[in-house]
Amino acid sequence: MRPSLLQRRLHFMVGKGGVGKTTVAAALALLLARRGRRTLAVEMDAVGRLPMLLGGRGVGYVPTEVAPGLHVLSIDGRAALEEYLGLIIPVKRLLTTVFSSKLYQYFVAAAPGLKELMTVGKIWYEATREEAGGLCWDAIVVDAPATGHSLQYLRMPQAAREAFGAGLVQREATKITGLLRDRRTTAIHLVTLAEEMPVTETLETRTQLVETLGLPLGFVVVNRVHRRRFSPGVLERLHATTAVPAAERALLACVAERATEENGWASINEAHLGRLRAGTGDAPLVELPFLFVEEFDHSCVEQLARRLEGEVGAGARSAARGSEGGAP
Amino acid sequence: MTLRELIDRHRVVIAAGSGGVGKTTVAASVALWGALGGRRTVVITIDPARRLADSLGLEMLGAGEREISLAGVAAEGGPPRGSLVALMLDQKGAWDALIERHAPADARARILANPFYQHLSQSFAGSHEYMAIEQLCVLVESGRFDLIVVDTPPTRHALDFLEAPRRIGDFLDRKIIRWFVRPYFSAGWSALRAMNRTAGFILRRLEQATGVSALAEISDFFSSMSELFENFQSRVDRAHEVLRGRETAFVLVSGPEEQVLGDAEYLSTKMAELRMPLKGVVLNRVHREFRPRGGRGLGGDVLGPEDAEQVAQVVARAMGGSGREARELAENFLDYQALARGESLRIEQFRIGLPRGVPVVQVPNFARDVHDLVTLAAMHPYLFGTGRAAA
Repeated sequence: MRPSLLQRRLHFMVGKGGVGKTTVAAALALLLARRGRRTLAVEMDAVGRLPMLLGGRGVGYVPTEVAPGLHVLSIDGRAALEEYLGLIIPVKRLLTTVFSSKLYQYFVAAAPGLKELMTVGKIWYEATREEAGGLCWDAIVVDAPATGHSLQYLRMPQAAREAFGAGLVQREATKITGLLRDRRTTAIHLVTLAEEMPVTETLETRTQLVETLGLPLGFVVVNRVHRRRFSPGVLERLHATTAVPAAERALLACVAERATEENGWASINEAHLGRLRAGTGDAPLVELPFLFVEEFDHSCVEQLARRLEGEVGAGARSAARGSEGGAP
Repeated sequence: MTLRELIDRHRVVIAAGSGGVGKTTVAASVALWGALGGRRTVVITIDPARRLADSLGLEMLGAGEREISLAGVAAEGGPPRGSLVALMLDQKGAWDALIERHAPADARARILANPFYQHLSQSFAGSHEYMAIEQLCVLVESGRFDLIVVDTPPTRHALDFLEAPRRIGDFLDRKIIRWFVRPYFSAGWSALRAMNRTAGFILRRLEQATGVSALAEISDFFSSMSELFENFQSRVDRAHEVLRGRETAFVLVSGPEEQVLGDAEYLSTKMAELRMPLKGVVLNRVHREFRPRGGRGLGGDVLGPEDAEQVAQVVARAMGGSGREARELAENFLDYQALARGESLRIEQFRIGLPRGVPVVQVPNFARDVHDLVTLAAMHPYLFGTGRAAA
């Protein structure tokens, strides 16, 4: 990993459903906080899994400290919009009337991308918020929703600039777009598995992010990589065993089966890592291992954060080439 | 009832579940099963990505129907061969078709270019899902298929699919739309003042925030489309009928991971509330646990990390060679044991919460990508207890 990418302030984790985006976001946030940076981990669409993985509990609509220097915030588009309208309509009583009216509910549902815009707007607000003369956060890590929806969010400020006439929303959208596109501040990380469909989707997403939206790409994090290898010779010898008690035979068959299984995944992973390397240009590839655990909990996140740290120290494999996304 | 009987007895099978669990693969495999059993089968997806095409071994799946050849998998001299059609629903096209059918000719072009319409047809939550259901109804009524398998879209919450008819029904509620069809918007500020004070106030504020054009566009859209929305409620009711009908079975697809099972549990509760018939569960990509049967010297009936040394010894004795190889093999085996153990505990918990009599099947975590008919057929023994494809 290039340190310059880690030094950016705003990190988005984007990827297909089920690839472990939330886990990777949690690990990155933990790593940044350990390095002494005031870090805010953000989850969109308020599900509550991110706080749990970081050792906190529940869903917090205000930044909540879960570890020294590490805060978690859940953003809900609707709540963000209400907060925003609260700034325009300062009278509390009127605000209540507005929010409870069916016409308003309707408008929120109907207005193109307003909720998405407000969610990204809230992130922008946290990213630029100042306190006692300095920025409030050194780093913000956003666990974005599954790819399709993520793109919708990231596209929104630009779309809103075009869709809405001159007004407050357009002014806000312009500011937000500026921040998202700034490669000194922002990095969009792609999280994937080294398997057929996730890689295909990742390559498509990359093209959209870079070419269509002009957003700065960060790491490509490959999650759950199998690395172990058992040579055909070893497996043959295991299969060839004859003079063993019946009770052990079943066990040995199973040991052989699992070794074959692991080999299978390792070669699938290797093939698709190849596709990723060929297709992701200069983006540094970061591999995280598959974790064999009964239950995935906070300690697993710790483990992944340490692995991430290790990859930073070693320098990502492809970091030497190219300069896209590098430090200014 | 078994999953096999379930599929044989229903005409519409809807695969529901959160993203990344292999829902598309399961849907395609179920459809293949039906086709091999002699039924005229269609599998529908509205996913614009290539999942279904991938899992059927196709390069691409354009909008429209595509006949899949069963030549490579159908058994010679088996039961009368059915047919398999794959269909990707193009939601944008479906909305446009709706406009073509219902909007007055002179307004069509204006509607199609209306930014609000484009938003509604492309990204209104539930709109894709609704169009899928709408087209499902058309297929059901056509009588062309004996089995219709639906691969629901990978929404954040699979619930979006189930709630789509209600949502869009609420959204297109005539009482509300009437507000927008009034001439306030095009007429501008003076007309706004004449409105009900609260509504006028809210609209002014929203306009101030978002710019005037957004509201005017919404108004224009609804004015042009009022005819369509007149009978919209009856279409929504029809969609509900199909989803809740006796011929329809929802099959929940899940993985064994904690978070995914949690989502599945929530979904199953919600289905009960919405009176959608959850009739079967497929647990995909499950790791199998090895349980020693009366193995002397190998602990009790469970093998865990504490048995590492003992397993390594058994392996070393059997295959000879370096102790290092044996230890690595044992470690790998016990790693998979730990995964499988966690999964089976969670699955046990999950099953307790399911409605009674719902069949649950488990498909193992194949160490290969599933993307052709042969690998889809390889799932059949796990789903249905037997295969129908040629060996």
